[in-house]
Amino acid sequence: MCGIAGVMYRGSENFGTGEALIRMLDGCQHRGPDSTGFALYSPEPSGQLKLRFFIDPVVTVDVDGAIASIRARLLDLGATIEEEAKPGDNYRVMIRYTGDVQKLSYEMEHAAKVISIGTSLEIVKDVGTAHDVDDRYQVNQFSGTHGLGHVRLATESDVKPEASHPFWATGFADVAIVHNGQITNYWKMRRRLEQRGFEFTTDNDSELIAVYLADKMAQGIELKEALASSIDDLDGTFSFLVSTEDEIGYAKDRLAAKPMIMYEDDDLVAIASEEVSLNRLFPGRALNTREPAPGSFATWSRSI
Amino acid sequence: MVSLDLAELSVRDANTQLRKLGEAGENIEVLNPDARHHIGVGLTAPVDVMVNGSAGYFCAGLTDQARFTVTHNVGWGVGDNMYSGSVVVGGNAGAIPGVAIRGAEIVIKGNMGSRAGQVMKAGTLCCVGNANFMAGYMMYGGRIIILGDSGERLGEDMSSGEIFVAGKVQDLGSDAMLTDISQSEVDSLCEFLDRYEIKAPKSFSKVVNAGTKLRYGTPEQPMRSIPFSSFSGTSSYWNPKVQEDVVIKSQSGRYRIRGYGGARPLPHLSDIGFRKDLQNAGSDRNVVNSVEMATEIGGINGARPLKLSMPVMIAPMSYGALSRSTKYAIAMGSAMSGIAENTGEGGMSDAQRDAAGQLIFQCLGGRLGWNIHDMRRADALEIYISQGAKPGLGGQLMAKKVTPELAEIRGIPSGIDLRSPSRHPDILGADDLVIKVEEFREATGYEVPVSVKLGAGRIRDDIKIASKDGFDFVELDGMQGSTGAGSAEVIDNVGIPTLSAIIEAIEALEEIGAREKIQLVLMGGLRDGVDAVKALCLGADAVAFGTSVIVAGGCISCMQCHVGQCVTGIATQDPEHEKRYKPEIEASNIHRFLESVRWQIAALTDALGYSDVKNLSRDDLVALTPEAADITGLPYEPAAGPSAMREKGINV
Ligand SMILES: Cc1cc2nc3c(=O)[nH]c(=O)nc-3n(C[C@H](O)[C@H](O)[C@H](O)COP(=O)(O)O)c2cc1C
Repeated sequence: MCGIAGVMYRGSENFGTGEALIRMLDGCQHRGPDSTGFALYSPEPSGQLKLRFFIDPVVTVDVDGAIASIRARLLDLGATIEEEAKPGDNYRVMIRYTGDVQKLSYEMEHAAKVISIGTSLEIVKDVGTAHDVDDRYQVNQFSGTHGLGHVRLATESDVKPEASHPFWATGFADVAIVHNGQITNYWKMRRRLEQRGFEFTTDNDSELIAVYLADKMAQGIELKEALASSIDDLDGTFSFLVSTEDEIGYAKDRLAAKPMIMYEDDDLVAIASEEVSLNRLFPGRALNTREPAPGSFATWSRSI
Repeated sequence: MVSLDLAELSVRDANTQLRKLGEAGENIEVLNPDARHHIGVGLTAPVDVMVNGSAGYFCAGLTDQARFTVTHNVGWGVGDNMYSGSVVVGGNAGAIPGVAIRGAEIVIKGNMGSRAGQVMKAGTLCCVGNANFMAGYMMYGGRIIILGDSGERLGEDMSSGEIFVAGKVQDLGSDAMLTDISQSEVDSLCEFLDRYEIKAPKSFSKVVNAGTKLRYGTPEQPMRSIPFSSFSGTSSYWNPKVQEDVVIKSQSGRYRIRGYGGARPLPHLSDIGFRKDLQNAGSDRNVVNSVEMATEIGGINGARPLKLSMPVMIAPMSYGALSRSTKYAIAMGSAMSGIAENTGEGGMSDAQRDAAGQLIFQCLGGRLGWNIHDMRRADALEIYISQGAKPGLGGQLMAKKVTPELAEIRGIPSGIDLRSPSRHPDILGADDLVIKVEEFREATGYEVPVSVKLGAGRIRDDIKIASKDGFDFVELDGMQGSTGAGSAEVIDNVGIPTLSAIIEAIEALEEIGAREKIQLVLMGGLRDGVDAVKALCLGADAVAFGTSVIVAGGCISCMQCHVGQCVTGIATQDPEHEKRYKPEIEASNIHRFLESVRWQIAALTDALGYSDVKNLSRDDLVALTPEAADITGLPYEPAAGPSAMREKGINV
């Protein structure tokens, strides 16, 4: 019940990844009018860890107090706070931290609503259209090398920003996912991962795919191989995109029930639910696109 | 040649102009399409359309006679349901190219996506490159030509038609087989390819239906079966019905099929009563004229609404399950009472169209009888997702009922046990659905309402999706709903009761603040005007009757609708049986029944103290059982009489 998009520029100059994703998502907003989100990777990790939290303006009476307690928790855990900002309903903080990132993530998840943690990844998501979210968070200012985007049609009571996509792989820095479809063996897979000590912050199947893949990568398995095994392990219908610090990849289920289309040239690779999104990057030009085969997967990395 | 530039025009405006230009006989060029959806949808003039670039979903969908050329790629469903005419695509096509075509010619110069030609009925789909998996899935006729290689499961569950492959056949789908190709077929293929200036390959493999699944193997044992309603779950555990079932299955080796409504006791509208003393009901003999009952359905987003003389319509019932005469009688009866009839599955007939005052045209996954011309003469369009009796299952029409005449209007081979697809080829989620709804609106110039029929299961989510996807109204059907034929397992075990359905639907819409954005028509075991009033009190905008209308029109409730030997001439396609049915007489019976419903609605509304049915309210009701109270949140008042309530200090 959504549309997805991903883009990776191959070179190393400054690119308008934010702007590119805004256009692509605007092109498929009909697939999901309720909320929009972006997973953006900055070109050069600064060695800092970037954290974004959602501070719900409706339930949080004392926003400054909420932020103060997040700060206190971070300091407790041994982080040094270097930069802070309050874009939209977010609290964004850059820290130096040398400990175990998974432990930090779980601790922070217990204390607040974490949107993303990464050395290079930042997730920006909220209710509304691509342009609404851009107006609120200046997504067009992001100029990283690659990123993912998602538009969503929600069925829960009210459309919550924290239930929007992309999801990050809770506990694993810099891994994000956008997914269209439904994983039917969700609970079975989740219990398997939980038994191994992983935590989930939502009941969303996209989060599960992210954690599943991140876990494999943490074991030293290449993203490509992790995607291959995901096609065997996940049941249901899915077309998803995953990104890490320097790679993006996709996987598509064997029934090919969910659409996906891609375009590649010397400068970039772009993938989306519908060609109309790809065309937004090249108005007035007919593109040589390709529909990935059922049960297929692939990755692209920044170095190529 | 006139140019339409999509860099400046919206697709909607461009399509409006396209249709006007088409009528004037002008050829058209579309510039800067940039893969937008619905280009050319609804064009029915013999003109040339050149799309300069790539088109999105449903390019040339729901068209007749026009000749399209797309220089680059197309998205899902190119040429959807096309009648005649052609599309030539210079590049690749996404999934389901040529879905449900009924005679057009579609040529893809590049590769084509999965499930090419799904449920196509006639015409030719040709792909110069490779075909992705399941080409020819559930095709009913026509031919597919693949000059490159074909993916996995070629011809999966095709029931007729031919697939010709010049390259490699990776593997065959269920019930498909390779067969010899004749010289005349080769000649015909070469002629086709020649016409489109495509070089013919040296040889072809030919794939057709293998005939192993078209008919059930062993027919169900003919025996005087015990009506399902005789035993309904409250009877003892191993009752004669269960034994009968086991015996029949021990012969047939499969599930059983039956028609008619739910047979197991479930919380229902009969578990709800009126709070107020209704002893004055009916004292005003002119009550029908003093209560406002006129109801408009479907106009909420600007379409031309159905104008009902009372908040009642006929439930969708297929021509196929029911005989032509029965559909004709219902059409007449509904017109006499000033309400709307619904085609159900299986297409629209001229007699039905002419007899019905207002007619809803239903579109199901098999697209059996679906076409642009009948869409244009319908008063509303309806996408069937599921029905209360059998959520998740498609229609079943046993061979006995699939006569040549019926097969012709559906576009399928006659004499097969027809199991309609349970899903739409192009609706695999809410995101695809929104694009489909838009296609229907484009095809009919945004003039007629578009509704969705939903069997109640996960209705809380489904109804939100229906509202977000822009439907004008929902036909909501509970578990007590009936069917022409369904598996007994599903009829009695899947879904939620009608009472729960309406409550959940309204709660869900209120949760997202969308109660005013969509109208609700409730059905599923509603029997008369009293049930109707209760449904209206609970928040339905209107109700629909299926079974009671058929019964009013002569059905004897033998529950053998699926067999095709209906003695009353209702659920049959056998002319000998149908002769017994007298449409004019039954139309008057149906009309009289509907007028009794009108009288009941008016009398109850009046007795409850209102002059307009729109003022009926939840507060007028009480629950008579703990379950009904639990489901509805109404106060539990087993002795619902006003005196009992007064004793409890409840104001009546
Ligand atoms: C003979 C027969 C044929 C039916 N065909 C269709 C159909 O084509 N499409 C559909 O949506 N529902 C179909 N239904 C189901 C009804 O529209 C509806 O869900 C049900 O009849 C409503 O409940 P009621 O019969 O208890 O009033 C059919 C029902 C019957 C009895």
